[in-house]
Amino acid sequence: MVASFVFLPCFFISSMLFAGDITTPDYGDAIVSASIADARTLVPILASDSASSEICSMIFNGLVKYDKDINLTGDLAQSWEISNDGLVIIFHLRKNVRWHDGAPFTAQDVEFTYKKLIDPNVKTPYGGDFERVKSFEIIDDYTIKVTYKEPFVPALSSWAMSVIPKHLLEKEDLNTTKFSRHPIGTGPYKFKSWKTQEKIELEANPDYFEHKPYIGRYISRIIPDESTIFLELQTQGIDSSGISPLQYTRQTDTPFFKKHYRKFRLPSFSYLYLGYNLRDAKFSDKRVRQALNYAVDKNEIIKIVLLGLGEVATGPYLPGTFAYNEKVLPASFNPDKARKLLNEAGWKDENNDGWLEKDGKKFEFTILTNQGNEERLKVAQIIQRRLKEIGVKVNVRVVEWSVFLTEFIEKRKFETVLLGWSLPREPDNYDIWHSSKTNEGQFNFIGYKNEEIDDLLTQGRRIFDPEKRKAFYQRAHEILYDEQPYMFIYVPDGLSILHNRFEGIKPAPIGIGYNFIDWWVPKAKQKYK
Amino acid sequence: MQDKSLKIGIFIIGLFVVMAIFAPIISPYDPSAIDQDGLLMPPSFKHFLGTDTLGRDLFSRIVFGSRISLGIGLVAVGIATLVGLMLGATAGFYGRRVDTVIMRFVDIMLCFPTFYLILAVAAILGPSVFNIMIIVGLTSWMGVARLVRGEILSLKEREFIQAERSIGASNLRIIVRHLIPNAIGPVLVSATLGIGGAILLESGLSFLGLGVQPPTPSWGNILIESKSTLGVAWWITIFPGFAILITILGFNLISEGLKKKMGN
Repeated sequence: MVASFVFLPCFFISSMLFAGDITTPDYGDAIVSASIADARTLVPILASDSASSEICSMIFNGLVKYDKDINLTGDLAQSWEISNDGLVIIFHLRKNVRWHDGAPFTAQDVEFTYKKLIDPNVKTPYGGDFERVKSFEIIDDYTIKVTYKEPFVPALSSWAMSVIPKHLLEKEDLNTTKFSRHPIGTGPYKFKSWKTQEKIELEANPDYFEHKPYIGRYISRIIPDESTIFLELQTQGIDSSGISPLQYTRQTDTPFFKKHYRKFRLPSFSYLYLGYNLRDAKFSDKRVRQALNYAVDKNEIIKIVLLGLGEVATGPYLPGTFAYNEKVLPASFNPDKARKLLNEAGWKDENNDGWLEKDGKKFEFTILTNQGNEERLKVAQIIQRRLKEIGVKVNVRVVEWSVFLTEFIEKRKFETVLLGWSLPREPDNYDIWHSSKTNEGQFNFIGYKNEEIDDLLTQGRRIFDPEKRKAFYQRAHEILYDEQPYMFIYVPDGLSILHNRFEGIKPAPIGIGYNFIDWWVPKAKQKYK
Repeated sequence: MQDKSLKIGIFIIGLFVVMAIFAPIISPYDPSAIDQDGLLMPPSFKHFLGTDTLGRDLFSRIVFGSRISLGIGLVAVGIATLVGLMLGATAGFYGRRVDTVIMRFVDIMLCFPTFYLILAVAAILGPSVFNIMIIVGLTSWMGVARLVRGEILSLKEREFIQAERSIGASNLRIIVRHLIPNAIGPVLVSATLGIGGAILLESGLSFLGLGVQPPTPSWGNILIESKSTLGVAWWITIFPGFAILITILGFNLISEGLKKKMGN
């Protein structure tokens, strides 16, 4: 027997009809959003930062995507079949999909994308999932058959990876191609222009296979500072943006904002952590990392920085999903225990100067974080303060985002980093924790190596039954919290604001952006031509 | 009248200097003590200038901030004055080619938009109090150099210098013992003005995130934090801004007073 999922293309339209919605949406207007950082590349299989990914998601499609209830549904694939043993997936692609330059989309493009993903010369962090593929066959222009070496659970979701056009990129080096600044995709929006550090502009794709998006243009303005973004909101210069807890609870609590904007509080699917560079001898001892965890009060951080809008993170899994181990409880705030553990690890205040030393060297390190994120800066200062109390000196350094990634993260030149990861529903995080993923451009930049974790993550991708699979991830959760390669800090609520001239927004478990092509603005309220 | 402005200026600056020196005694709290139950408290008896987004006492932070801000002002101007005096005096005294070379260099330095130069250097060297003092100092000596050169050009033709020469005094002695002390008046005036400028420059740098790094408070970086609380916590914007304003006013009054005194 073959399991089969069929995509229902008329979801949006039907739900609108059932709601008794008789107004027909108007076309036109533009949405202006704000991004803290500029995109780095618009080659989707290379994009690892959220600014790039966000733009890419408007321009490109994968074979599958997540629907509003966070279940996988078809995108460029109309339907698919998975063999009972989980080794073979057959995708039936949509016909009549065209690239923005008019060329037809076919199975050749998918094969090309796959080949680039496993090409060792392409600096992509997403190759891991595709290395498990044993064979990739094109059955006809619109059918492909992917066979895996062994059962691989994240296989289906891995095909949410954006497909890139073969006819344009065949002869290019993906790492350096000009395509990265002039992308051509199949998605609802076409690339129009990109002014570095200023804005990226996209326009609606009239031939989009679902339907032409109602909103005519999508403009992402790069504003590297949260307060400036807020000032822009006050002049209605931008329409949508993430906002800070203080802005959510207090600064937007004014008649002006109530009149012009809508606020949303949704799960953010991300967590904040302090990652230790485990190549650094200071952090190689587990007791040291545990001690630092005991010395920092996460509840205090949440109360101060998130004004309570979030929860303590205990591991890299989304709370409430099957992989999340409820039995892993956050360590209590316990500076005495922290001091004790540090003592055991050899860190003592030898010269009574208030700072701990080992072999005559002071325990001192720098927390590196990116500019423009005031929450992270606050978290860094609270950690700094709490660690000072146990005799560990912390410096804080804030660096501009692109420099931060290229000069520090990619080159592994850091002691600790304060960063966030997104938390997808699919728990497979092999790329972040597996010991084979520590090379340049890969996601295990802290250099974490643990055989049991390697083993659990490898097995977790092999077994389809969520009940059995659960055991691997819950155990991984336990180990990671015990080992503390990261100090897991918090899972914040996702707070955002949107101008209220937009209609058709239907908040769902996955957020609000999933039906963006159905958003529209009544003619009378349209602001931009 | 001139006396009054000098006195008021000295009084104001004296107050801030005392505040900087006795910061640990004056401030009621540790300036980086975080209080999760006292976020963004308005001014009250407990926290007289209120608290910031981490619940830290604003008064204590401004008091400790005065050390950094005044320190940067004084050291940076010290460096600028020293460099300016040496180069200006050399140029003015030796004239001709030496003068041309030095003064063209001054012109070149003046052509740079100083603030951007500082930004670039701060970005390369990395932000620290020490670096900022040096950077600000090394980019603001040109005014002093021009001033000193002008003074020395006119002084070196005066009789007392010729008398000195006639008894065989060395150039160095003439410059150091006679020319510089006579040219120092206007330099002092410009230096006091310069301190104000340096404090402003540090505030600007901190405001852009390239100044003094957290949690060390400086008036400039307290001001940056206030950006995110605009409209919710006026005190975080007003008080450090006021401290900067008053200090600069103080230095300007001193410089004004000195100028008038020397005019007489």
